[in-house]
Amino acid sequence: MPERGVVGLIGPNGSGKTTLFNVVTGFYTPDKGEVLYRGENGVERIHGLNPNEVFAKGIVRTFQIPRLFRSLTVLENLLVTPQGQSGENPFLSLSKRRWENQERELARRALSLLKRFGLLNYANKKVSELSAAHMKLVETIRGLMTPAKLYLLDEPAAGVEAAAAHELFRLVRELRETEGLTFFIVEHRIEILTKYVDYVYVLHNGRLLAEGKPEEVVSNPKVIEAYIG
Amino acid sequence: MIDILGFLVSWLTLLGIYSILALSLNFESGVSGVTNFGKVLFYGVGAYVAAALSTYLLLAIYGIDTSETPPYDIKGIIALGHLSTRNPLVNLGLFALTLILAFLVAGALGYLLTYPILRVGPAFVGFTLLSSGELMRIFLQHYTPLGASKGLMAIPNPFAWVPVPRLREALFLAVVLSLLALVYLVLNRLVNSPFGRALKAVRDDEIAALCLGKHVPRIKATVLFIGSGFSGVAGALLAYYLTAVNPDMFVPAVTFNVWAMIILGGLGNLKGSLVGAAVFTLLDRLLTFVTPQIGLTVVSPDYIRWFAVGLLIVVLIIARPQGLLPEEPVKTPALEEALRAAGESSG
Repeated sequence: MPERGVVGLIGPNGSGKTTLFNVVTGFYTPDKGEVLYRGENGVERIHGLNPNEVFAKGIVRTFQIPRLFRSLTVLENLLVTPQGQSGENPFLSLSKRRWENQERELARRALSLLKRFGLLNYANKKVSELSAAHMKLVETIRGLMTPAKLYLLDEPAAGVEAAAAHELFRLVRELRETEGLTFFIVEHRIEILTKYVDYVYVLHNGRLLAEGKPEEVVSNPKVIEAYIG
Repeated sequence: MIDILGFLVSWLTLLGIYSILALSLNFESGVSGVTNFGKVLFYGVGAYVAAALSTYLLLAIYGIDTSETPPYDIKGIIALGHLSTRNPLVNLGLFALTLILAFLVAGALGYLLTYPILRVGPAFVGFTLLSSGELMRIFLQHYTPLGASKGLMAIPNPFAWVPVPRLREALFLAVVLSLLALVYLVLNRLVNSPFGRALKAVRDDEIAALCLGKHVPRIKATVLFIGSGFSGVAGALLAYYLTAVNPDMFVPAVTFNVWAMIILGGLGNLKGSLVGAAVFTLLDRLLTFVTPQIGLTVVSPDYIRWFAVGLLIVVLIIARPQGLLPEEPVKTPALEEALRAAGESSG
């Protein structure tokens, strides 16, 4: 995975795409092999860490069906994310003075993000009232509240209409430019994905079947066979 | 003649104790999503810590050998009765000490119990804690140093030295209500802070919280420490109020009584728990006080009480699952910032 790359991962159902994400983000431990990540401390092995530790290394993940905190508002969902909030310590939380300034600062940052992505009017709405596309958007920009650099997106276009899906992928490109983020994207809607990624990997039965530039991969006979056959 | 003042003092004392339980259960189960069906365990542990320590220590302080005259023995009970009116400072000191220890012991037990429940879903968390409560009750029924099935009596009330009973009860009520206020303030602060927001996040989606760097096991253990600690305090207050404890006071039905309070008041809303506790304890006191006085003895008040609790839980969950007072957003300065931002963008 190149830094600041937008890389796609495709493959038929059951080929192991989400499993790969689960291995990288610490839900599964690999039987063989290593997961290496270059973060602030240079290259490190990150397999075997817990999901919260993987996140602390700078890796954000989204889910096929967005996993938002349903009873919280959009703003609260963003505010759950930042690390090192002194108000999250049960002792310090008792004294508002100890966390009020940090809270205001984070809230302003969250609100400016919401404004930038046209969600300011939804700030105090519960996320359960949002449309599917907005839920995906909130799940993705939630990570922007942290210094995380690598985003693993699991089927961002699933369940949303084409226009909204294109919108989300344009956002991915934009964030790569403005924030220097790296994206690794699982997607079934190949026709949308290939327009936005630099490079594509194809998984089949848990193995790498092909890789290359999107236009090469989609015309690769092995890939076509795996999808149709 | 109905004794209105006596009724009020007795109701408010019970209300105070049950409110602490309801608030702490709401904090654990309503706000943080830990299905605590074992509330009575921590309540009972607090009550027994207070009962055992205060009786054994009171005897020991006055040089009575508790191996010969244990507090559960009739001689011990008589001795405790005399000693408890001798020195106010001893009573108050024992009260403060045992209250703190009840918090710590019950809290530590809650903390430790998170280990077996961390890897199971909410229903099994509930069953594990429910069974642990029953284990405690059965253990207590057979453990002689704590009085076995008879329990412990003659627990020295902190105000036992006050000669006027009414004044004694009023002083104790004041202590109970002050502790209730303290518990409410602490829990309200915790809930309306970034910590409270993280609790609700874990409740809503544990996996997502984990993926966003939250240390879910530590958060749950902290919640159970705080909630169980306060339940222990409620138990200790009950022991001092009744001046007697026995294992049959800590049946699982007590837990579900508190559940009914928080469901009625509204899960996740602390004020709702106060309302729920008020309604249920009022019902309880009315049945206990009024039925004998108006000569209604056809149906046992106990029977109506438990029946009414069960019926109310079923009706509420069907008709108004959010309770009387629905959950409110986490109140932090972020809300003000949001209002300001909305104002700027529209104006």
